[in-house]
Amino acid sequence: MKFLALVLGTVREMAAKATLYFLLGVSTAILLGVLLTVSSSVSTEGRTLVVFGKEASPPLAEDMFSDLVMKMEAGLTGGLFLGVVLFGVFATAGLIPDALEKGTVDLYLSKPIHRWELLLGKYTGGVVGIFAVILYFLASLWLILGIKLGAWNVNILLSSLLLTYIFASLYAVISYFGVLSRNSAIAILAGLLYLFVAAELLENRAHGLYLLSDNTIYHAVIDTCYWIAPQIPAMQATLLKSIAGGTLDWRPFGQSLLSSTALFGLAAWTLKNKDF
Amino acid sequence: MPVIEADSLSKTYQAGLIRRTKVDALASFSIAVEAGEIFSLLGPNGAGKTTFVKIILSLTLPTSGGATILGQKLPNDEVKGRIGYLPESHRYPGYFTGEQILRLFGQLSGVDGSTLDARIPVLLDLVGMGQWRKTKVKKYSKGMMQRLGLAQALVNDPDILFLDEPTDGVDPVGRKDIRELLRDLKLKGKTIFLNSHLLSEVELISDRVAILDKGKLLKVGTVDELTRSGSRYVIGINGTIPQAWETEARALVMDVQVAEESVSIGCNSPAELNAAIDLLRKHGVQIVSVGQQRNTLEESFLSLIKRESAS
Repeated sequence: MKFLALVLGTVREMAAKATLYFLLGVSTAILLGVLLTVSSSVSTEGRTLVVFGKEASPPLAEDMFSDLVMKMEAGLTGGLFLGVVLFGVFATAGLIPDALEKGTVDLYLSKPIHRWELLLGKYTGGVVGIFAVILYFLASLWLILGIKLGAWNVNILLSSLLLTYIFASLYAVISYFGVLSRNSAIAILAGLLYLFVAAELLENRAHGLYLLSDNTIYHAVIDTCYWIAPQIPAMQATLLKSIAGGTLDWRPFGQSLLSSTALFGLAAWTLKNKDF
Repeated sequence: MPVIEADSLSKTYQAGLIRRTKVDALASFSIAVEAGEIFSLLGPNGAGKTTFVKIILSLTLPTSGGATILGQKLPNDEVKGRIGYLPESHRYPGYFTGEQILRLFGQLSGVDGSTLDARIPVLLDLVGMGQWRKTKVKKYSKGMMQRLGLAQALVNDPDILFLDEPTDGVDPVGRKDIRELLRDLKLKGKTIFLNSHLLSEVELISDRVAILDKGKLLKVGTVDELTRSGSRYVIGINGTIPQAWETEARALVMDVQVAEESVSIGCNSPAELNAAIDLLRKHGVQIVSVGQQRNTLEESFLSLIKRESAS
């Protein structure tokens, strides 16, 4: 019950912030746009995608039309990914530093809860809040496109879990820096730097970081960094591919589970030894 | 049997980023607080009062020494279910109402839902916040936050209550209410550990007081023991002191201070006190009372701190 209270309290905290509502608002606007502008027409030659009342594709056989819808869904999910990680970082980065502020942390830690429990409760609350937004968008998109275009792609529903999982990996990085610095701004900066700089550089190391030196030790260090950090770009790429009908590669998900768990453990250990 | 026991607790902080200097917040601090008493810890800013409470609540880890609370060795998270704590500058999430705050912290203390349903309205009424239960905390004044903080500290019906400046920002009527509440809690067998700068209030409600400075325990005792001014006595009289008595008393090397209907005498021994009384009677002065002179707690506190600084 204590853990549940922490999680629900954190979700309520997120709901009180405008960032999450902004993301929900943007999601709703996109969903309404899709609902009002996208449809299909059926003729003897096949099914045609209609956008803004105009034909956006030639008449296609049912399986080819489904492929087209899946690609469209992948594109929209890609957009959602960017929105979720960007706004998700802003909506959640302050949760842990705020709980560790003087005057607040005293209240939490004077209760019979372990420090790791406080951290896990805040972390889970943040992830649950983001999952709610993702699920709202993707389940609505699945329903809208299923009803309007007759294409029921179950992968898009499953992807809500995987998209949340990707966010949770990133949030482990943010949480670690949140515990270390007890500062929301530093946690946000660390999350964004990791997402847009470090993770991308490591993912594309063969075309960038490797070129800086031929030294094998240097390459080994870069490789180690890649393998010990959550592989967000790799997870995103394979997820979007799977929504578009491709096969999901589970390797980056498994590897990121290990690195995120290790990061979270490090955050819990850091918190355990902090004086308040 | 002590419910809080500290044995040579020490805490050293590292200060400064480049030039690391050590600050001793607590130095071999030992104390025992008995069940059911109101115990106050006094000291100037930075004396180590809050550090001690934070160590007891496992918010801060001691550098050396040990402590027990309710017979449990620290650090111990589970025992906190029997403790209530009101920190000095507590901050609640502003988007919660008073009622929601109590529910959240009650749940975190392990209190079940039906108990909280019954207890929360009672507690809010007890601290005079009943009518504000549905109002968001961000709209509360400092005094209201303090009252809510007190209710929060009581939400798990604790055996021990740690209160850090509980009347800070509270108006005089509210302060009196809080004092009465603390007395009621004591009557119910609760142990109350108080950190406060308001010495006049501490004096009114504490059973025992400890004075702390620069991390060191200077003195511990009942308010009566601490305010007793060792060798000074006040003799109450009817009428006025004759000038001749004063001259004779001073000739006996007595430190006398004459006031209206009383005289204060500094004596080195009971024999000197008796000699002064004999002298008064010899001059026909009618004695109505004899008692040891008392300082206020504030005077005793300041004198102790001054002595410590001088040494």
